[in-house]
This record gives sequence, C-alpha cells and structure tokens, in this order.
Amino acid sequence: MVWESFKLSILVVTVATLIIATLGLALGLLFAKGRFPGRELLASFFTLPLVLPPTVTGFFLIVLFGRHGLIGEPIYRVTGWTVAFTWQAAVIAAVVLALPLMVLSARAAIESVNPQYEIASYTLGKSQLATFFRITLPLARRGILAGIVLSFTRALGEFGATFMLAGNIPGKTQTMPLAIYEAVISGDNKQAQILALILTGVSVAAVYLTARLTKGALRY
Amino acid sequence: MFALDVSFIAEDGITILFGPSGAGKTTTLRAIAGIIRPDEGHIAVGGRTFFDSEKRVSISIQERRVGYVFQDYALFPHLTGEQNVSYGLKEESEATRRDRAREVLSLFKVEHVRDRYPQNMSGGEQQRIALARALASNPSVVLLDEPLSAVDLETRSGLLDEVAAAQARFRIPFLYVTHNTTEALRLGSHVVLLDKGRVKATGFPAEIFNQLAEVNS
Repeated sequence: MVWESFKLSILVVTVATLIIATLGLALGLLFAKGRFPGRELLASFFTLPLVLPPTVTGFFLIVLFGRHGLIGEPIYRVTGWTVAFTWQAAVIAAVVLALPLMVLSARAAIESVNPQYEIASYTLGKSQLATFFRITLPLARRGILAGIVLSFTRALGEFGATFMLAGNIPGKTQTMPLAIYEAVISGDNKQAQILALILTGVSVAAVYLTARLTKGALRY
Repeated sequence: MFALDVSFIAEDGITILFGPSGAGKTTTLRAIAGIIRPDEGHIAVGGRTFFDSEKRVSISIQERRVGYVFQDYALFPHLTGEQNVSYGLKEESEATRRDRAREVLSLFKVEHVRDRYPQNMSGGEQQRIALARALASNPSVVLLDEPLSAVDLETRSGLLDEVAAAQARFRIPFLYVTHNTTEALRLGSHVVLLDKGRVKATGFPAEIFNQLAEVNS
C-alpha cells in the first residue's frame, strides 16, 4: 500500500505541478499587469479554493466533471470516457486546490519587480514579451519558485476534493493522504506512520525551502 | 492630475531643464521618451516625429530609441556591467555585441567593472554604466534625469566632465534635468526654466541665472 500510493502520488503531483506552474504563472502575470474590468473579481475566483472547504470544491468538481456534469457529459458522449474515479481526476483536484498558492505567489513576485526596470528595457528597444522574459521573470524568479514549491506541497497533501472526484481506489486513485486514512481506519498503524513521516518530511523541507527563497528575494 | 504645458526647442549641445521639484521636468522627459502620453502637442527629435496629437502620430517607446539615464540609474540588478551595456544593442552576432559593449565601457572608463553586478559598484561606477548603456545603441537624443543626485560631491565634479565629454563625442542633443545651479552653469549650452508645469524662460545659462538672481534680490 505504501509503495503503490507513493508511486501514484508522485505521478499525480508531477503532472499537477507542471500544469500549476504554467497556468499559475500566466494567471499571476494577467492579474499583476492586466488592466481590464473585473480583474479583482476574477482573481478572487481563482483564490476561492484556498478558503472553501475542500469537500465543497470537490462537490463543484463533480458537478463539472462527473459523468452527468457540465463538462463531463459532453466528453462522455464523444469519447465514452469519464474522468471521475481515474488518476486524472486526482490531478484535476490537485490542480484546482493548489493553483491559488501559485497564482498569489506569482502575482506578488511580478508586482514586486520595480517597474522602472521594465521601462528602462522598453527605452532600450525591447518589446513587452522580451522584457518579461529577460527582466521581469529573472527578477521575480525566487517568488515564482517559492510558489511552485508551495503548490507542489499543497498538491501532494490534497485529500478532500480528491476523495470526492477520484475516490479511494487502491493502486488507481489512492494517493498517500488517502492511503493514510485507509490505514488508520483499518487499524494498520505502521503503514500510517511511514506515510505520515514521508509527508511530514516533504512538507518541512518545502516550508524551509520557501523561507530561503523568499528571504533572498528581498535582495532586489 | 498634473497640468504640464511646455514648448521649447533643444539645440545641439546640452539643454538644461531647470526648475524646482514639481515643476514638470521629469514629466517632460517621460513624455519625450514615450513613457507617458501627452493629451496634445507635438514632439520631434532630429526631424522624426515622435508624437503629434493632430496627426494622430504616437510611436512606441521602443521605436523612439532615446537614451534614458534614470535618476536612480535603473541598472538591471541581475546583469553585469557589460550585460547592462550590451542589453539594447541590435547587432546580430555575440562577438560584435561584445566588442561594441567593451568599446563603450572603455570610453567611460568602467572596463574594470564589466563582470561586476550593480550592487557591487560604487555610485560613480553605476552612473558611468548608466551613461554607457544609454549611449551604446546610438540614440538620437539622450535624456538625463538628475543623474548626479545619487552620488557624493567628490565624485560629482568628475562625472560632470564625463557628461560634457560624452556629448562632445557623440554630438547628439542631451536634455539634462537638474535643480542644481552649479551643474546647470557648468554643463548647459542652453537653459529651459520650468515652473509649475510651464516654461518661464529660455536662453543661455548666464542670462537665465542673472535674471533669476535679480528677481531674488
């Protein structure tokens, strides 16, 4: 149980973190630099999973992605496949729940870059895109990396929404947090201890790394 | 809201934009560079129109290619001295860019800090790198926003000569913002006196400052 859930967690978290890093950076940039009506409203919407009970977010995900869901039903009709109770469902749950941490960190990191540097880059003939990649991104990189580490950890620990959308199928959707739950209710304390130690170790390392990264960010 | 209504013609040489803080000096530079957009008017450099509200012309900051020396220099903190100077160069090959950057670095006597990051340079060195970066890509005009306000008095005098020498060498108009009379008298070939967003007087430095002295006495 330990090994299977460990492998599955690594798969789910790796895919989820890749999606979160790209999507979260794009959204962070949009909210930091975009000037459009309803910007803060949209930003709040993406922060919502941070404060909602994970089971509530999980319920909304079922409404969206279930076999009779708003997105799930058309997919089922075309492909005969439904995402619920697959490992991909665990990825969706992890992405939705951990994305706010990445969006908030990326936005704060981008906003912390003195706009004077970007203006200087424009006067030297560089486009907005070139300026983003050569000036803004390198100067914001520590905060962005901290966001990736935080959301990776949040994705690894995701339980409630995963349980709702992906279920608790050993070897298929049972990630480490679900395996701990299973071990405890079946009285297998040894397994629970091993899994709890692994997750605690990763979390401590992540918190430490984040603190190191954000402390260095103050240099600019 | 800030109302700025200025009109002047900068000759070849160093034109001083002089006035108390809040007079609109920096705002004027920012409008010329294209960082802000005036409501109406006409901005041209060397026969090229940057902005014309009547003809609905407004070319982008990037296309204006002004050399801008910011008050706090705005050197890129994650790039070395040489990388800062070569940042705006258009040359294709890495080698020609490096040669050009080093040429300009030596012109401003800062070859020794080419591998250093701005945080490890003195105020004077940062200022020279900022000048070198602004001039490296052959701009049509150089805008300097109180470039000496962040360096100590001892360094200041040497840097004034540096600015004058750079103008003489590159032979392009320099617009120099300051509220320091000594700097204005030493550098200026022409002075535009600004106050509360309007041009109060234009002329030779000696004339302007004699008038000012009479008004004050």
